[in-house]
Amino acid sequence: MTNDMEKAAPDVEASKQSAPKKRKKIVSLDRRKARSGWLFVLPFVIGFVIIYLPMIYESIVFSFNKIIPGTGGGGYTLEFVGWENYREALFVDPDFAQTLLSGILEMAFDIPAIIIFSLFMAVMLNQKMVGRGVFRAIFFIPVILSTGIMESIEAMNILGDYVEDSTGIDDGSGTSTADQLVSAMDLQQLFANMKVGTDLVEYVVTMINNIYDIVNRSGVQMLIFLASLQSISPAIYESCKIDGATSWETFWKITFPMITPMILVNGIYTIIDSFTTESNSVMTFISNVYSQADGNVVSSAMAWVYFLIVIAIVAIIGGVLSAFVFYQRKSE
Amino acid sequence: MDAQQAEKKPIVRRESKNKIRVDFERTPLKERLKAKFLSVYFLGKVVWWIFRLVLMIGISYIVLFPFISKIAGSVMSPEDFVDVTVRLIPKNFTLDIYRAIIEELNYWSAFRSTFTLSLICAVIQTFICALIGYGFAKFKFRGRNILFMLVILTMIVPHQTLQLSMFMEFRYFDIFGIVRLLKGGGIELFGHNIKDIGPGVASFFESLNILPDELKLFKYEEVVRGQTKEAWRIVMAVNEEGINLINTYFPLMLLSLGGLAFKNGLYIFLLRQFFRGIPDELEESAYIDGSGTARTFFRIILPLSVPMLITVFLFSFCWQWTDDFYTNLFFVTTDTNMLVKIVGTIPPSLRMDYAGQDLYYSAIRNTCGLMIIFPLVILYAFCQRFLVQGIEQSGLAN
Repeated sequence: MTNDMEKAAPDVEASKQSAPKKRKKIVSLDRRKARSGWLFVLPFVIGFVIIYLPMIYESIVFSFNKIIPGTGGGGYTLEFVGWENYREALFVDPDFAQTLLSGILEMAFDIPAIIIFSLFMAVMLNQKMVGRGVFRAIFFIPVILSTGIMESIEAMNILGDYVEDSTGIDDGSGTSTADQLVSAMDLQQLFANMKVGTDLVEYVVTMINNIYDIVNRSGVQMLIFLASLQSISPAIYESCKIDGATSWETFWKITFPMITPMILVNGIYTIIDSFTTESNSVMTFISNVYSQADGNVVSSAMAWVYFLIVIAIVAIIGGVLSAFVFYQRKSE
Repeated sequence: MDAQQAEKKPIVRRESKNKIRVDFERTPLKERLKAKFLSVYFLGKVVWWIFRLVLMIGISYIVLFPFISKIAGSVMSPEDFVDVTVRLIPKNFTLDIYRAIIEELNYWSAFRSTFTLSLICAVIQTFICALIGYGFAKFKFRGRNILFMLVILTMIVPHQTLQLSMFMEFRYFDIFGIVRLLKGGGIELFGHNIKDIGPGVASFFESLNILPDELKLFKYEEVVRGQTKEAWRIVMAVNEEGINLINTYFPLMLLSLGGLAFKNGLYIFLLRQFFRGIPDELEESAYIDGSGTARTFFRIILPLSVPMLITVFLFSFCWQWTDDFYTNLFFVTTDTNMLVKIVGTIPPSLRMDYAGQDLYYSAIRNTCGLMIIFPLVILYAFCQRFLVQGIEQSGLAN
């Protein structure tokens, strides 16, 4: 509060001096700042009201109607059908509910993998080592290049599958695991005696086999982690070193708590990103429904069901994660 | 051992008037090397060093391999795809695919239009997102948190959800019925048109018809069979339903202007975090010197944030360049040739029917992809150092 007073003080003096000449209304600095704040975000407000809100409204309206094309002034007319589209999406369509469920399970599997991987890689890239600049440049290539059209090209790339098939490590077992990096069977046998738990082993094995996918999707997260790692003051690490902490301890006691806010941010970003990419199975399903019959409105209803589920998941995970977040400034 | 060392006294010599040289008796080199290199600590370091390098190279390989295999496939001739001994290194090197794409798929014209669109969108998006991000970072105003939630909302709503309505919005573009009014269509309220009240009112509204039937922009001269003809690069049909903005750059420009285009929520978030990291004292001193908020932003804040702006520009440019969702949604005719549209078209001279056909077509598609991202690789090579630098400065952890 005192800080605000200090801010306002010089300005009040300035406006007092100019008051007799211009008879300008004296507005407090805070209010003027609030006003210019609105001016700065004005493009978004205007865009949201003029473009986005009508689109959302229309999309919701579509999901409660049937489109009859070829009639009326705008090339189509709407017929109100109530919850019919939603009923059709959830209970009549044989595949939607199942795709939805498996899509969400897949996400529950992928998201921790992406977060762990990107954190690990960011910690690696933050250390001093030979060729760090080169590795950094290579690791961020997928962020820039493997999006949009490249993603769809990769999905239809039979040539790539063909080449990879032949270069895969053949474990000599003669089974179809030849194209996988790690054979789950071997590892499971290895870990069976170590009492690690087969689920965990399976998880790690699947993660390694999907490594290309995970690397591709963790670019932005890596970038954000890297940035937050570099903003931790080196003085803290120095004092830790003097006190004799090992780098393992330093990571868990210093680095990890300091970047928990970014784990929250990255977690939410990853959820949003993986739920909305085109390669997501639910998204592909909805797009297919949309293109099957030109402008099929059941796809609108499906998309809204999906959206509500995503919002719920983001809210739950955001809420749970934020309970564990450590804020350095809390004490101030 | 310790006692012995303590007894050893350093030899002090006076070299000149005000210079002393102190020589400690040192442990022999052999023992020093032993202590340094034969320790568990050192061994652990070496193992970690090797492990890390192997891991880094391995992941780099995973990232680069798809590109390498695409490049390899792009220079192979059709025979190589049926030859089982050929995997990555072509036997008959040829640049046929590249030549065919450039000559038969109108590569350069597609390149030009994609470049123009991406540049316009990236510049607008970077600027607008910087404005919005700064507004959220440095000003307290009522409704700020709700507005920011709306920004996040635009990120969460999958664009597939809005696919249909987005197309309709720009196919029949009209802001609050202004176009309808100016086209003589009257005002529509709650499903009823004011025009229907009486013939007098109707004729009044119809006399307001001041918009032309077609909006034309950018005149140029076209030569058709030796005759020069006037033509327009952009023609938009206007009727009572609104302006048809499909097949123009305007839908994406309007979305960019509102901070609503692809991933703009992320840019706003990144820039907000960045501006938060800039100390308030900087602006306060500018305000005391009599500079307004806008002037402070343009003169002091923007020059400071060049690396971050380049990062956002790089993202928006590249993501717009490779985007196929919006491009396919807003460009429906073949006249406006966009780079992402050349994928999936097989150049006529390369069409053939043989055993390796599927692999060959896949190679052609991959080559199209390579030619699409080629300019981005050059851009990335120049800008990548800003990528980390920009985000580094943002102090995201604070």
